[in-house]
Formats: sequence, structure tokens, C-alpha cells
Amino acid sequence: MLIQRRVLRRRLRAAAFAAALFVLLSYAVWPWTPMARLARPPRAIVFYGFSILGEVINHGVFPAFQKGWRDRTREKVEIVSSFAGSGTVTNQIILGVPAHLALLSLELDADKLADARVVPAGSWRRFPFQGVVNRTPFIIVVRPGNPKGIHDFADLGKPGIRVVHPDPLTSGGANWAIVAEYGAGARSGAPDPRRAGHDLLLGVWKNVVAQAASARAARTQFENGFGDALITYEQEALYDRSRGKLKADVVYPRSTVLSEHTLVRIDRNIARRDADLVDAFSRFLFTDEAQRIFVRYGFRSVTDPLNEANPGFGRIEDPFRIADLGGWKRAKKEIVDSVWKRQVLAEAKK
Amino acid sequence: MTGRSAGRGSSALPVSVLVLVLLPLLLMPLAAVFVFALKGGPGAFWDAIRSPEAQFALRFSLLVAFATTAVNAVLGTFTAYVLSKHRFPGDRALGVVVNLPVAIPTVVVGTSLLLLWGPIGLLGKMLVPLGLQPMFRPFGVLLAHLFVTFPYMLGAVKPVLDELETTYEEAAYTIGATRWTTFRLVLLPALRGGLITGALLTFAHSLGEFGATVMVSGNLRLKTQTAPLYIFAQFEAGDIAHANAIAAVLALLSFTIFFFLFRFASREQKAA
Repeated sequence: MLIQRRVLRRRLRAAAFAAALFVLLSYAVWPWTPMARLARPPRAIVFYGFSILGEVINHGVFPAFQKGWRDRTREKVEIVSSFAGSGTVTNQIILGVPAHLALLSLELDADKLADARVVPAGSWRRFPFQGVVNRTPFIIVVRPGNPKGIHDFADLGKPGIRVVHPDPLTSGGANWAIVAEYGAGARSGAPDPRRAGHDLLLGVWKNVVAQAASARAARTQFENGFGDALITYEQEALYDRSRGKLKADVVYPRSTVLSEHTLVRIDRNIARRDADLVDAFSRFLFTDEAQRIFVRYGFRSVTDPLNEANPGFGRIEDPFRIADLGGWKRAKKEIVDSVWKRQVLAEAKK
Repeated sequence: MTGRSAGRGSSALPVSVLVLVLLPLLLMPLAAVFVFALKGGPGAFWDAIRSPEAQFALRFSLLVAFATTAVNAVLGTFTAYVLSKHRFPGDRALGVVVNLPVAIPTVVVGTSLLLLWGPIGLLGKMLVPLGLQPMFRPFGVLLAHLFVTFPYMLGAVKPVLDELETTYEEAAYTIGATRWTTFRLVLLPALRGGLITGALLTFAHSLGEFGATVMVSGNLRLKTQTAPLYIFAQFEAGDIAHANAIAAVLALLSFTIFFFLFRFASREQKAA
């Protein structure tokens, strides 16, 4: 009797374990079973973007495109997307992720793709606006009420200020930030612009306490309480403010750079049957409809009149573009590599 | 008398020290996951779990864990059998090599897989003309997980095989059993405990694998994003509620697995 009961109990237990396992397995397999797959999988655009694009593409621009496409062709299309630091995305594409389109934070990353022979050199310049989809200036985000009295990039060099900065190795935003800092110094009207740019950059970097892999990750660190100031895209701050989530103040420097975000089409990943869809989406990004959505999410449109729709855009006395510094190739060599990497980083450690 | 009370006092002290050390080290972080996951109320928690990306990530992770466990159960047992029952030149070196994955940082595993199978990798280059590309696909994730979890099955099964008296096997052979029959009827029943332990360990590790996966998956939502990658991406994007909801589910699953593991281990011990 006793033995029988014990055997029975053991069998029951084994059955319960097997049942639990079965439930877990069926939950996992379900989307791949024939029942769930009856509907033919829709065509999808594979879109890689730099970190701050997640919301505007997934919740704003793509749904609008999806609706328009459906109205016209009755086909429901999907987007498969991945967002990370611009440099990370670039390296992933070089290593072979199946991206159709990539929206990179800076043209330099597009050049990197061309150097790796992933795309023909300069092919993105065939898009409208030379491939620049939208812009946003670099600004300083500080704690509410600006307790440290930060009013310009130069103030970030004061002793005791802790700056959160993305990492230029993987973040396009960080490269922009370096150009913004250097440019602000160089354009301050000092007698030796190069010296002034170098000094401002050094001041900031002496106070960098955290380097994050992407602009978005840097923002998360700042939100979690690290640092007194964060250098980032205006869009980040505006988007948070529009949702009432911004628990910080925005400081507009006198002089700063407007980042320009470059769209790249990766031909080798696009099957012939998907080309119409991919091209329709890339054209859509430059239409007024899409540009208005970008403006609503805090990006500055390449079509200037549309920018009036967002009253949150702050005034910058002396905005400049990368072209004013001779383009990215030159800026990378002369500012990021030779000034920041070789001089400032070493001097900042002392 | 004094001896006894001193004895009691001396056991209360180390126990409380242990708890005090473990509290911030292990217990509080674990609790924090659940506290933060439920911060927005059960409704928000439920919504976070139900988002298509989260659902996909969970399912994909489970699927990969099942597949990894199945493959490594066979492969690991076979390896253990060969290493335990056969003597051949280089068997020791091989024994070390198959255990290496535990020692190698998982990120390095990911990089090396990319450099081997990626489109610009040694073997990957040859696959490209064939239209094959294992990296940044679910199969690439599976490869990484197989690699990383390989030693667990082996580690659980081999000691049992080593300990097993060869007389049973020899007896089986003398009455004419083939090698396969002997394995099935003599060795396998003895291995049951080791197999279950190894499978649970493999499954749990695969479910939580991050370092190698982040390198080889391409991190595509709804395609190759596993649950840990989803958590990381959400956290980086500042969406801590979503990240924590999935983290809580993963933690719960792991707890369950370890609960089974402990129950099982203690029962085996009692039986022995």
C-alpha cells in the first residue's frame, strides 16, 4: 500500500513536471506553429537607426507610412528596427546585419560604410538634402533650477562640475558634442581660435565623470542621478518635455553645432522584390508629412518653414554646421583625432 | 552551562553577519527587480509583459533555451561517454578543451564566432556566395548558446559515468548486449540524475545568456532579440518599467528552475 502510494506520488510529480515543461514549450513555439502562421508574414523594412530615433520611427513616422502604403496598395507592411549608438550600428552593418536602411547620426559613419565597401562612396548624397533627414542642435541639460549656474559650454569647465558625456568611440552624438564644444570655443571671438577651441574642450573633458555608449544611454545615466550636466541632442530634451517627463532645465549655448543625420541605403541587403517598398519609405522620410512628425518629436526639419510648428525650439545666437568646419572628414581628423584624442584626453588625466 | 550559552551566542553572531552581508549583496537586488517591476501597478506590469516585442523576446529566449538544452544533452552526454570510457592519445587535452567555454569571457565567444562565421569571417566568407549567413540570425544565437553552455551537461554527466562500476557494463556485454543496448539499459538509467541537473543548468544559463548573444544576434526586435537583450535595450532607452517587468519574469523562471534543481538534488542525496 505504502509503496504503491509512493510510486503513485512520484508518477504524479513527474507528470506535473512534464506538463509544466510542455506548457512552457508550447508557449515558446506558438508563433512559429502552422496555426499562428496561417497569415502570410508581411513584408518588412529592416531599419537601423542611431539611439534617439527609436520613438519617432517606431511610433511616429513608420505608422504614418504604413497607413499611407496600406491605403494605396492594401498591403500591410511591417518594420524591423534596431537602435543603438551610431558607431555601433555602423559596425554592425559592416559585420553584416541585414539592414535595408540606416539613419546614422553623422556622415562620418556613412563614410565608414563606404570605406568598408558596404555602400558606394557618397551614394547617400543622391537622396534629397544630400541624405540629411533632420537636424538638432547640441545643448546642455542641467538639474532643475540650474543650481550650478551653467550658461554655456565654457561653464562646464569650472571646477566641481560633473559632466555626463557619450563615448565618441561608439556614439555619433559624442562626436557632435566634441565638435560643438570645440567650435563654440573657436567661434568665441578669441584671437587664437584653435587655442580657444582646444581650451574649451579640455575644460569640459577634465570634468567628464561618465562616458556612455550612446547619447540615449548617457541620458539614462543622467536621469538616474549621475552628474550635474549632460551634453546631448536638443531633441532628447524636447521630446521628454513634450511628454511632461523632463525633470531638468535646458541651457542653450551661445554657439553650437546642428547635427545632421544621414540616411544610407544598403543595396546589397535589399532583395529585388523589396526594393519598391524600401525606396518608398526612404522617399517618405523627406516628405512634408514625415518631416512634420519629426518636428513634433523635437527634431528640426530640413524644410525650414516646418520648424515653426514646434514652439519648443530654442534660439541659438550662433548656430553652425559641420560644413562650416570643412565637413566631417576634416573635422574628424583635425578636431576629434588630433585635438581631442591626442591632446585633450592625455591632458585631462593630469 | 557557560559553554552552551557561549556556543549559542557564537552561532547567532556568524548567522547575523552572513545575513547582513548577503542582504545588500544578493537579497536586496533581487527584491529590487520585483519592486520596480510592480511600481507602476499590476496594469502597467501586465501591459509591459504583453507588448509584442517583450512577448517575442521571451518566446525566442525560451525556444533557444529548449533547443540548446536538447542539442547539448545529446552532445554533452556523448562527449562525456567518450571521454569517460575511452583512453586515447590527447584525451586529457580534449577534456580540458571541452571545459574551456566556462573559462572564456562570453563576449570573447561572441567575437570569435563573428570572426569565424560572420560575413567577413574565415568560414563565413565562403558561405556568403552560397547565400548562407548564420550570424545575426536565430541560428547564430543558438550557436553561441551551444558554445557557452557546453560544459554544463558534460560536467553533470561525466562524474556519474566515471564513478559507475564497470562490472554492470561488463555483465551486459557478457550476455550479448550491444554497445547501444548497454548504454540505453544500463548507463542511461544511472545517468538520469546527472542528465536532469545538466539540462536544468543548461536551460537556465541559456535563458540568461547576454555577452555572446549581444555580439552575434544583431539585436533585431521581433527577430533575434532575446529577453536579456530586450531588458538591456529597454533600460538603455530609459524605459525602466518595461525592462524590469521582463527582468521579473526571467528571474521568476530562473527561481523555478533552481527550485526544481534543489529539490531534485536533495532527493537524489536522500536516495543515495
